[in-house]
Amino acid sequence: MPVADEQFAGLRKGLLEFAILTFVSGRTSAYVGDILEALAPTPFATQEGTLYPLLSKLRREEFVDYQWVESGQGPPRKYYQLTDKGAGRLDELAAYWRHLTSTLESLGR
Amino acid sequence: MERVVTINLNGNSYQLEEPAYDALRAYMSRAEAALGQNPDKAEIVRDLEQAIADKCAARLSPGKTVVSAAEMTRVLEEMGPVEGEAEAGAQQQQQSSAGPQHEPWRPARRLYRIYSDGAWTGVSAGMAAYAGIDVAWVRVFWILSAIFTGGFTALIYLVLIFAVPVASTSEELAAAHGAPFNAQEVIDRAKREYGRFTESSGENWRREERRWRRSMRQQQRAWESSWGNASAQPAMAPAQPVGYAERMFAGLFAFVFSIITAALLIAFLIAFFSILSSGSIFGWTPPGDVPTWLVLVVLAIAYAAISSPFSALQRTSYATLSGRRTGGATDGLATLAIVILVGAFAWIYSPDARDFMEQGYVVIRDFVTYWDRHW
Repeated sequence: MPVADEQFAGLRKGLLEFAILTFVSGRTSAYVGDILEALAPTPFATQEGTLYPLLSKLRREEFVDYQWVESGQGPPRKYYQLTDKGAGRLDELAAYWRHLTSTLESLGR
Repeated sequence: MERVVTINLNGNSYQLEEPAYDALRAYMSRAEAALGQNPDKAEIVRDLEQAIADKCAARLSPGKTVVSAAEMTRVLEEMGPVEGEAEAGAQQQQQSSAGPQHEPWRPARRLYRIYSDGAWTGVSAGMAAYAGIDVAWVRVFWILSAIFTGGFTALIYLVLIFAVPVASTSEELAAAHGAPFNAQEVIDRAKREYGRFTESSGENWRREERRWRRSMRQQQRAWESSWGNASAQPAMAPAQPVGYAERMFAGLFAFVFSIITAALLIAFLIAFFSILSSGSIFGWTPPGDVPTWLVLVVLAIAYAAISSPFSALQRTSYATLSGRRTGGATDGLATLAIVILVGAFAWIYSPDARDFMEQGYVVIRDFVTYWDRHW
């Protein structure tokens, strides 16, 4: 497993944005802790050091937006939602992903 | 135990052991470098600080207020390396090349004393680190050369103890090894040091004692630092420590002034006892109408007047060395050690000094006889 982990790191990295958009699309809002926790058991497991820069890039591209929400303990947290533009992007990605996989399958025949 | 640094992470104060602070600072500066021209850099840095703060808070409790180096290592491992736009955007070429994009900052290699690796003073450990050889060779060299030169190199060793600064921060430790200083390095070392700590705690009372002394200092330092940093920016660097050259000169001066004050003290004692026993100082007899007590008072005042500038200089040198105002104990002990060492050398190598010291013995014996007779 670690060998595959190592080899396909680039592949997963490219798909991380896809994974995050998908996760955020599935709920009304998500904070970084939720995202990390949800991704931890998957091949897309990631860390704050990667996630924060990526989320800020997605926000700059207007695919996600956030709101400050007071938390019971500690300072307020940023809760991210998918924007309409983000939903469009996710559809594009999903379509492209299907295209890629079907191409790969057809190549093998 | 380590010195404690109080920092402000996104509006809340946290107390970190010094290696933990160094690791955090290295991590954050690396993060900022990785984010480069990112327009959201400030915001991302704030988010990262908050995430680190949350992780630290989870490791603290009312009964535990300081984040240890090992805990910070874990926190930073959980955080993972901060990736810039290019990497996060899946540029596989950069990923596959995997080479370091930023040449790590490599400090000039310098000779330091390394306490943590050293058996006694860290001189040999520092030389070994500087030369990149095993410390055992350096120790063998010192011992053999001291034997063959009749102790002359031991004197050089003594001077080195004073002149070579102690590597106390992670940067200085890195410079002692000539190693690149980056977060990973700090984390690795923190791990190693933590391992050593858990292995050796309780066995070595000398180390325990040193730790205890450092923790006393550290409390004071933490208080000062939290006082000074109360409204400071996040992760502000502590006051710049004194430079290498200054510390080297301060060390040499400390040595020289210690010898001078030691010599003055010896001269004073000899004069004092010889006045009492034989009524003369170094062959000079005070006029007969001057009472002995007055001669002693004048002698004491003269000694205080002559020695006070030297001991002040000596104290200043020690203060520069350690970066704080020392109490009397450190330089007092150092002076005593130098008196003994210089005395021993003089006894072995200078027949005159030997005669003098034997006379000193006679002086004290005379004094004891005098004491017995009159009191």
